[in-house]
Amino acid sequence: MSILWISVGMGLAVAAILALSSVAFTLEYAVSRVVNLAHGEVLTIGAYAAYVGETNFHQNLYVCAIIATVAGSLTGMGLNFGLIERFRNQKPLSTLIATLGASLILQNLLLIGFGGASVSYQFAQGNLLHVGPFLWTTLTIKVMVSAVVVAGLIYLLLQRTLLGKALRAVSQNRELAQVSGIPARRVVMQTWAVAGAVSGFAGFLYGETIGTITPTIGNGFLLLSITAAVGGGLGRPYATLGGAVVLGLVMSIAGTYTSSAYQLVIAFGFLVVMLLIKPNGMFVRGRALTVRA
Amino acid sequence: MLQYWTAILTEATIFGVLALGIDMIWGWSGDFDLSAYAYFALGVYMTIIMTVGKAKAPVEYVLGWRLPYLLAVVIAVVVVVAFASIIGAIALRNLRDVYFSITTLGAVWAIYYLVENFTPLFNGYNGVFGLFDPMGGKLSYNAYHYYFFAFCLLVLFLVYLLVQRLSRSPFGRMVRAVRDDERAAAVFGRNVFWTKYRTYLCGAGLAGLSGGLFAAYIGAFNPLDWKPTEIFVLYAAILVGGRGNPRGVVLGSFIVYVGFVEMTRYIPSPAARPELGPALRQILIGLLIILMLKFRPSGLLPERLGTDGTKVRRSWRTWFSRSKILPDPRQDDVVAEPASGVES
Repeated sequence: MSILWISVGMGLAVAAILALSSVAFTLEYAVSRVVNLAHGEVLTIGAYAAYVGETNFHQNLYVCAIIATVAGSLTGMGLNFGLIERFRNQKPLSTLIATLGASLILQNLLLIGFGGASVSYQFAQGNLLHVGPFLWTTLTIKVMVSAVVVAGLIYLLLQRTLLGKALRAVSQNRELAQVSGIPARRVVMQTWAVAGAVSGFAGFLYGETIGTITPTIGNGFLLLSITAAVGGGLGRPYATLGGAVVLGLVMSIAGTYTSSAYQLVIAFGFLVVMLLIKPNGMFVRGRALTVRA
Repeated sequence: MLQYWTAILTEATIFGVLALGIDMIWGWSGDFDLSAYAYFALGVYMTIIMTVGKAKAPVEYVLGWRLPYLLAVVIAVVVVVAFASIIGAIALRNLRDVYFSITTLGAVWAIYYLVENFTPLFNGYNGVFGLFDPMGGKLSYNAYHYYFFAFCLLVLFLVYLLVQRLSRSPFGRMVRAVRDDERAAAVFGRNVFWTKYRTYLCGAGLAGLSGGLFAAYIGAFNPLDWKPTEIFVLYAAILVGGRGNPRGVVLGSFIVYVGFVEMTRYIPSPAARPELGPALRQILIGLLIILMLKFRPSGLLPERLGTDGTKVRRSWRTWFSRSKILPDPRQDDVVAEPASGVES
């Protein structure tokens, strides 16, 4: 029983990072109607930016987190400006294929810049702590707390600010928002900046949690983010949050009884089950329909 | 030099077969399938383990038969099609467009990690290997490769004839009708799922066939050297050649494959940075995909079918204008966006 609790604790840590990553993914979809396959690379760029901050500029944990966030934000804006807006009048599938190309480019630029060998942060992991039935390190707790704080900030952004209001309007109908006087292009750009910042931060947390960074770590995490977003409800931030928590728990519990190497296999099973039962997402009201994006 | 060219052209030929398979699913049926790599890899694995005999101690894999090469390829294709029928049934039943692509993307990586970590199946990340010679060792090393190249060319030619024939047949037209407007095709009595499903299985079968050829060409296969990203070059090739036009696809795979191998051969790859050359090559492929999609999405030889399925003759005057004869449905319409946004 105690092993189960420990794995649930680890699942919560993974779910916290996954929640950030998949919310960023879903925000990108909400404003641009694009399944961004280069999302994983934004995470990786965040992780590497923090690594550069630590090894080359000898910054501490918190400054590195900010560096990762800024790097992710810049990447997000660059992707939107250089790619997504250029493909705005094309079908969603064309944009998806284009982001696949962008993912290939970014991943290999990282490979050229940092080499294929894995690198790791030198931050202290802290002490092992028993919290209730869970077993966490100080660092894990920091990761989870910061993830919850960022999720709260996203909530405030969406519900309490003008940008959030405009974002929701643009996500429902960009043309209508535009004629109502909302500067849609600027709102989309700001959303990508926010989504990129959140992804960069999530990438940093992920690199810190698993310990090693390679140019391909974002790849597997992209799939998990997609699964969480589609499972919860694509384009809907709160549904996606729920999906991420459920997926994180399912993976870690199932991983305890099989092997953590099969994480992605389990996630795919989860995705298939969700798509067969309720393709709209589990936290979205309404009948299961044939899904056409 | 001759051996070098034979090797490159053999690869291009094998990948031409694979590109024709991918194009059936992507070009004709309009479903961007990312799991084609899985069918190709499964074809390679099945062919190798059915021809090289029992696994020796540290190496482990299933079957381990010693069948004649051609029989092994046939069985491999059957296995691949059977496997694709599962994935296709899940992905095509009521998912389209990006949801289809997401599902196949998830499938290919799930299978990838399963094969890499579950050693009893195909020996995990070490992969399977074994030298085998379909000709029975009667030929010298070089002669064997020339004959094998000729054999691959023959297979590509036959596959091309078959695909071209199918493309212009009532079936080919039906697939395209379903792609362009599912609802209208259904109104005219076409079974949308069954049409797409059959196309998917045909495409997967061709991918398995090219895997069978590739097995004889390299004789070893493992997940670390062959990541799913390796076949993105074929998506670029199909885009360059022309989606939905078999002639264009074959042309594109030769142009892109040979062109890229040749171009990137001269990129210096210093010993300290062995990843530089391949990485630059992947970057170029990514750029090619994006630029083709942006500026010439229908490719060098666009798909042009008249209403009766015959190829429309183009006069030289229309060569430089894009859509004088038939508007290309994929680049002219702006899709209305469904209203499903953030809940408030």
